[in-house]
Amino acid sequence: MNRYVKDLLLKLWCGISGIMVLSTLSFIIIYIFMKGFSSINLDFIIGAPKGVPIGSEGGIYPAIIGSVYLMIIACVFATVLAISTAVYLELYCKNEKLLKIMHLVIHCTAGIPSIILGMFGYTFLVLRLGLGRSLMAGGITLGIMIFPFIEIRVEKILNEMDKNIVYASYALGLPKSYTFLKLLLPIYKRDIISTVLLAGGFAIGAAAPIILTAAVMYAPVPRTVLAPVMALPYHLYILIGEGISVENAYGTAFVLIVLLLTMNILPILNSLSRGGE
Amino acid sequence: MGIISIKNLSVSYGNIKILKNINMEINERKITAIIGPSGCGKSTLLKTINCMVEEETLSRVEGEILFKDNNIKEMTKEDIRKEIGLVFQNPTCFPFSIYKNMVYAQKYYGNTDKKKLKHMVEEKLKIAGLYDEVSNDLNKSALKLSGGQQQRLCIARALTVDPQVILLDEPCSALDVKNTKNIEEMLSKLSQDYTIIIVTHNLSQAKRIADYTAFILNGELVEYSDTETLFSNPKDKRTREYIEGIYG
Repeated sequence: MNRYVKDLLLKLWCGISGIMVLSTLSFIIIYIFMKGFSSINLDFIIGAPKGVPIGSEGGIYPAIIGSVYLMIIACVFATVLAISTAVYLELYCKNEKLLKIMHLVIHCTAGIPSIILGMFGYTFLVLRLGLGRSLMAGGITLGIMIFPFIEIRVEKILNEMDKNIVYASYALGLPKSYTFLKLLLPIYKRDIISTVLLAGGFAIGAAAPIILTAAVMYAPVPRTVLAPVMALPYHLYILIGEGISVENAYGTAFVLIVLLLTMNILPILNSLSRGGE
Repeated sequence: MGIISIKNLSVSYGNIKILKNINMEINERKITAIIGPSGCGKSTLLKTINCMVEEETLSRVEGEILFKDNNIKEMTKEDIRKEIGLVFQNPTCFPFSIYKNMVYAQKYYGNTDKKKLKHMVEEKLKIAGLYDEVSNDLNKSALKLSGGQQQRLCIARALTVDPQVILLDEPCSALDVKNTKNIEEMLSKLSQDYTIIIVTHNLSQAKRIADYTAFILNGELVEYSDTETLFSNPKDKRTREYIEGIYG
């Protein structure tokens, strides 16, 4: 086979793969939009679920707010831990063995199936720490799920920076804490925000970690972090799983997809606006 | 007694010995050049003097370095680096404005008086010979300056913490003749107030600006004397061969 044909085949392969992925993705999105659009109206967005069984009528407002709250708690919890871990590993840790062990642990955490994280959240947070099925327990469980996602990316950002800039800061007699807060954080703020937003999108769509730890079939918008919540993915699961209302399930999926797309588009806008600076 | 005394200094990375038993006295308010072929340990010596070498994993330092008779091991790294500044081979401007680059360190030391800061920025930029070129636009991004200007900004920034010693690691290696000349003139002026140690590949640069020159080969200090003697009448055969261009 001559080189020209090989090249053509590779191009063809890449092209077909690209088209397959894109068309599948757009099919899913368009299908859900078409099916779900008919259920969408103002009452659906700002109303509480009603009817018997609950969810067959009414809206999904508490689930939207519940999902957003869960995401916020997860992001705050995971970001604080992930950034401090990444900074420790990149700037402070000089012990090669410890570095390797930490990386192994983080990568393993990333590989834990989310339902097992849910089980851990249930036994440890809900029962042992007595948080109950609550926003807090679910948020933390989701936080554990997205922690490696954020940590790995932030560490990569710090790892790929120009080390000489950091050393130049040290060379002025400045401690690492100041170097991180006043030099690295301002430089990489946008990248870190983009990462956290993407992780938020990951968290908001996850059902397994919150099934046992936070989500319930019906709850009003929570007033405290210790109250149980409704959440979009769980609501969707119940509506379809229990055969309550297929139309409302598609409506819920529609809202969830819109939220997810927003969470994924925000980082792109975030990096585009950098060009204007 | 010099401002810095290096005694029996050895540095290794893992199993590889980079510097072997270096003994040196650095004289105050003079320019000391360190010359030698690539990979001989010149930069490591510089980085050891202000503890930068400790930021690298697996490095091990033996022997002692005295700064004004104080062992640097007994000082905090931050204190040493404040007294002994370091300018890198490639310009390391922070991706902020020129002004922000200049006040970056001062803010840590709690100087927030705008008037004083402005005065300080002006003064240090003038010393570095950069003020006239950038005075109209201190808010311009430092990364938009030319290579030579960036390097002078880095030197000016190193001066903002009022160090006593400035270490320069081949500061002109990425610059053209004109910028090199600017920096050399500035260094000669600076040596009235500061002690300067410069690592250079460029023998004629050492000859032009240095009061003292040290020749390092394979991690050993081969010869160290005043520049004129070292270049006109080297005692060691290896020094003569290097100067005549036999090594690298």
